[in-house]
Amino acid sequence: MPAAVGSRWQDRRRRVFQSVYQTDLSPPPPQAVALPSANLSFSQGLQYLSGTGPTVTSGSFYDEDTQEATQPAFYNQPDQGLLVSHTPSNSFHSTVTAASQPSQVLLGAPDTGSGDQVAYDSAWRLVTARITLPSSVTSPTSSGNLSPDAALPSAEFCDALAHIVHASTLLPGALRTDDIFSWHTHQVRAHFSQHVIPLLSGCLDTGGTGDGDPRKVSDQERYKSSQYERHMVVVMSSIRTLEAALRLYSHGFDLLVKGITQAKSAAAFGTPVVNVEILVNRFRRDIHALVGNSASQQLTKSLRAVLVRLVGNILGIPSEDGDDDDARNFKSRRPAPPTDDDFKALAARQRLHELVEQLHNVGLAGERFQVLFAEVMNWMMSAFVCGAYAGVWSATDRRSLSSVLNTVSKGTGSSVTSPCIISLMDWIENHFARLSFEVLSRISHGSVSPVTLSDLKTYQSLALGRLSTLRIAELFDIVLAWPDSRGALDDLRATITTSARRLQLTSHFTQALKTRLLHPGCSTLEILQTYIDIIHTFHALDHSKVLLGHVEPSLKLYLWQREDAVRIVVTGLLASPEEVRAARKAKEISKQQAEQKKAGKRSEASTRRGAGKGPVVTPTTTGRSSRTTSTTTRQRDDLHESSMRTPGTTPITGKSTGTGKLVELALLLNDPTKTRHTLVEDEELDWNDMNWVPDPVDAGANYKRPKSEDVIGTLISALGSEDVFIKEFASIVAERLLSLSDPARFDQELRVLDLLKRRFGEAALQNCDVMIKDIEDSRRLDVDIRRAWDEQRTLTAATPMMMSGHFLRSADKRKKAALQRQQQQEPTQYHARVLSRLFWPALDREHFLLPDPIIEEQKRYEQGYEHLKSNRKLTWLNQLGTVRVELELRDRTVTVDCTTPQATVIYAFNDSDSDNGHGIEIDNKPPARRTVDELYTTLQMDEDLITSCLEYWVSKSVLRRLRSPANTQGSHTYVVIESLSDPIVDDNDDQFFKDDDIFGNPTTSVPAQEGAQPAEDPKQESNKPAMDPKEQERRTIYWQYIKGMLTNASASMPLAQMAMMMKMLIADGFPWTNEELGEFLAEKIAEGEMELVSGGKYRLVKK
Amino acid sequence: MGDIQNSAPTFGARKNIDPSQNAVKRLQTELMQLMTSPAPGVSAFPSADGNLLSWRATIEGPEDTPYAGLTFKLSFEFPANYPYAPPTVLFRTPIYHPNVDFSGRICLDILKDKWTAAYNTQTVLLSLQSLLGEPNNASPLNGEAAELWDKDPTLFKTKVMDRHRDIDDD
Repeated sequence: MPAAVGSRWQDRRRRVFQSVYQTDLSPPPPQAVALPSANLSFSQGLQYLSGTGPTVTSGSFYDEDTQEATQPAFYNQPDQGLLVSHTPSNSFHSTVTAASQPSQVLLGAPDTGSGDQVAYDSAWRLVTARITLPSSVTSPTSSGNLSPDAALPSAEFCDALAHIVHASTLLPGALRTDDIFSWHTHQVRAHFSQHVIPLLSGCLDTGGTGDGDPRKVSDQERYKSSQYERHMVVVMSSIRTLEAALRLYSHGFDLLVKGITQAKSAAAFGTPVVNVEILVNRFRRDIHALVGNSASQQLTKSLRAVLVRLVGNILGIPSEDGDDDDARNFKSRRPAPPTDDDFKALAARQRLHELVEQLHNVGLAGERFQVLFAEVMNWMMSAFVCGAYAGVWSATDRRSLSSVLNTVSKGTGSSVTSPCIISLMDWIENHFARLSFEVLSRISHGSVSPVTLSDLKTYQSLALGRLSTLRIAELFDIVLAWPDSRGALDDLRATITTSARRLQLTSHFTQALKTRLLHPGCSTLEILQTYIDIIHTFHALDHSKVLLGHVEPSLKLYLWQREDAVRIVVTGLLASPEEVRAARKAKEISKQQAEQKKAGKRSEASTRRGAGKGPVVTPTTTGRSSRTTSTTTRQRDDLHESSMRTPGTTPITGKSTGTGKLVELALLLNDPTKTRHTLVEDEELDWNDMNWVPDPVDAGANYKRPKSEDVIGTLISALGSEDVFIKEFASIVAERLLSLSDPARFDQELRVLDLLKRRFGEAALQNCDVMIKDIEDSRRLDVDIRRAWDEQRTLTAATPMMMSGHFLRSADKRKKAALQRQQQQEPTQYHARVLSRLFWPALDREHFLLPDPIIEEQKRYEQGYEHLKSNRKLTWLNQLGTVRVELELRDRTVTVDCTTPQATVIYAFNDSDSDNGHGIEIDNKPPARRTVDELYTTLQMDEDLITSCLEYWVSKSVLRRLRSPANTQGSHTYVVIESLSDPIVDDNDDQFFKDDDIFGNPTTSVPAQEGAQPAEDPKQESNKPAMDPKEQERRTIYWQYIKGMLTNASASMPLAQMAMMMKMLIADGFPWTNEELGEFLAEKIAEGEMELVSGGKYRLVKK
Repeated sequence: MGDIQNSAPTFGARKNIDPSQNAVKRLQTELMQLMTSPAPGVSAFPSADGNLLSWRATIEGPEDTPYAGLTFKLSFEFPANYPYAPPTVLFRTPIYHPNVDFSGRICLDILKDKWTAAYNTQTVLLSLQSLLGEPNNASPLNGEAAELWDKDPTLFKTKVMDRHRDIDDD
């Protein structure tokens, strides 16, 4: 029974199909099975028995199916199940189409027998059969077959269609009617999901194979090099597939539409006229929605790749994976807007237009595409900004670039002068916005322009934001490159317009400071030099200093930890003109080298680019521009004198090539333009200031507009309390005043002093005033005393106190080495400087015995002084003097300026002469020799000092150290080198000289002592004589504190608590860190004074 | 001593400093002086809690006294108006002494009515040290000790040793 019904039904169907499709190959509407559940099994059975092979999932399966159609139904059950089971039995909309009417026929025909219904059904069948979709889309046969049919609908078809459309009037008896258009749409949907989507994914999976071209598969070797090609193939094959499918779909639809229009004239039945326009639009919208939503991730990916490539070419941004030659130079190439005759860009533009057109036609240009396009454009903007402007800071550098595009519209940002910004604006307007317009206008429907002027403004402000982000990220390098980076600052100034960006700038820069500057790897000098550049840069960036104020705290905080910062600043301020000149010269040289290197690199790069990109930038123009760069920077350098470093990521170590001093400060101090500047800006309100701007929004409440750049002032104020600074300044000035050989030159000191006075007030710097005055007075006094000597030799005894003296002997105190027995009879010139003890930093006395002639001079001087200034007494600070020593040796005369201890030591080698009387029987005498211990006893000088003095003379090739003989430990013997040509005599000579040794056997006369000498320590001590005794004293006192603490407060304490107590209890403060204290305690433990008990606590060892 | 007297007003000359601040300054100076020129046998230091008004001190028993070889811990509590009022001094180490009672209180005139601002911690400590060797038996707090001091030095010494006990801070 089911078989009979089935065969009848199938017969009818076959007839219908054959009437429509002349070929047997044309399949019936696939499966046709959205049956009510009651009939489901039944109809399935029918289909499989019919032998017409109804179920096909794709064209490739078709033949097989027909051949095996006679097999039992369950054989194909899986397939069938696939098709049907996902379809709810009563759902027409999502299902596989076609056979809703036949099912109605089955149910309805026997019952009603209505002619109308039958007619309707048959008309329905006729029409649906005509527009039923084939299973294959891309197969050329199916699409080829369709085209002739599509020409015109037959009259029969028109009639049937008219019946269906106007069923209510023509066939009023037909109760079950349906909308043929929605049927078609459903059919299309089902077809799309079943056939087209698999094909599309096929395209994606194998890349090039999707379009049926096997050649692509074999070209695996090119696979990597041409990512773009591959993606392009994917996109194009997808488009082609969709085009074919759409052709298929619109074919049926066209038939319907044409049929209706034809039928319309004939059938004036008074039925509502079907609005074809609406139908067409709705159909297109449906299809586009279908296609647009079907786009897979992978297609999007490919499309993105294609877009990136094309858009990149158009906008002049080199792609990373291009397969052409110049893509290999990607690193060296900067993005640059293509010129109008750039073939590649034109081709890419053409290609993109086509592509967009195609995408639009197949419906892939929907919202997703727009989002994708927006993403790509966004990326392009970032890439362009980062690529084109990263590291491009100096204004002249870009002249070539911007001169090419002088087409910048005058409308945008007229106030902006930075070349970077101008060229960026130009790029946005003439390339970026243009492209957006072109693409969007192709895919938009409305008549409204897709890119308006306000959009353009938005683009530009976005681009400026990118630029500002870039510059902010580069800011630290920009600072390092000051003053060559002014162009970048122009960019930054023009772009940091919002407080959010300012905040971003400061926070980012602070971070960069922390990671790149404020770490132990940077010397204080480098930090300070960078700080100066920071001040310059930020001042150029923001006159209000607010930004600087936000950046500074971390820097200041860090500088406070650097103890030598103050000293470096002060010595920098006091740097002599010679040092400045030397530093400038060194800088000049390094700059020229850098320029040469840079110019060479650039011209090389531009040559490469010129070859690749045509006559955009010729090497000659580059050469000129680089020359101008160097000259302008040099001029600028004369004005501002900042150190030059090569821009980029160069570490800042390169900058300290100079004298190791902050000569920049001295230059600033001597710069007349700066001081004039301050005077002008002293005016509270300058009405003529055309550059006046209101205070920035992020200024603090009590913000006061700073007057000028004032690098020195900023630097000094950054160094903490002024007391510390003044103290340090005084001690350094003291050192310099005492060491200056020519006391006439105080210019630099006085200038710095004036500057500091303006800042700190007269009173704070009174000490320095007195010190300078002391030196000047001394000179006058010196003359007076000398005159007094000549006049009267009467000595007045005076006993008062309170004035301590420092003597300086600056002229000849003749000495001779042992063998030159000529005693100089001319008087030694002896000068002293009288210092007022209370105003000078603490200067320690070093005890040693001066040579007798000097002591005599000293006494005379003292008497002369006391005669002039009664009630005052001199205390000699012998170790601070300087002496010009002339040594007459056998073959040469050595003249050196040295310190008093050094002179005293070398004089000691002369002593024997006077003992032995005068004479010139030199040649037989062996060279004079002394041991350290001898000198120690005769001079009463500190042993370390003796050693360092001896080493000094060794370094002058006046003395030579004998290797310590085995029997004397530690006490070295030094001997005068009388003649440089003498062979070096060594230890064994001791034997030889023993008998006639002028000192009476030095090797045995002094008891051996342990380790008298390492040369390093005493030297260091003598370099800063004021420090060490104080430190020693401090340590003693601290030790008392610790002992007191552990005796009384608590028998054992942890380190941190001790440090805390010390900090709290010592009125002058406790400068040690916990680590220093720890070291100190460790020493004490080593000495057996303390012990470490459990819990990290220290306690005194009980005795 | 005179130095300290003179220096205290200079610290106090600052305006609106509360009186105990003066005491703290003065004690800091005293501490500094103690540290720079320590006297043999005595030492003192602020207590571990960091309160400058509360000190701990140590006295070593003088030679040729029953207290030779012993160490005595004391506590100093300075009033806020120090040095215009004496500190409260107690022996924390149990001591057998005519002028010290069993809870460590001391009978010493300079800690009572004879106090002047010229005294300081170090002088007090030195006075106490000498008190160990020369007790004032005329006004004893420990009558038995005062009696034994003259009558039976041997027993006195024994009592001292019995009474003495090293205290541990921790």
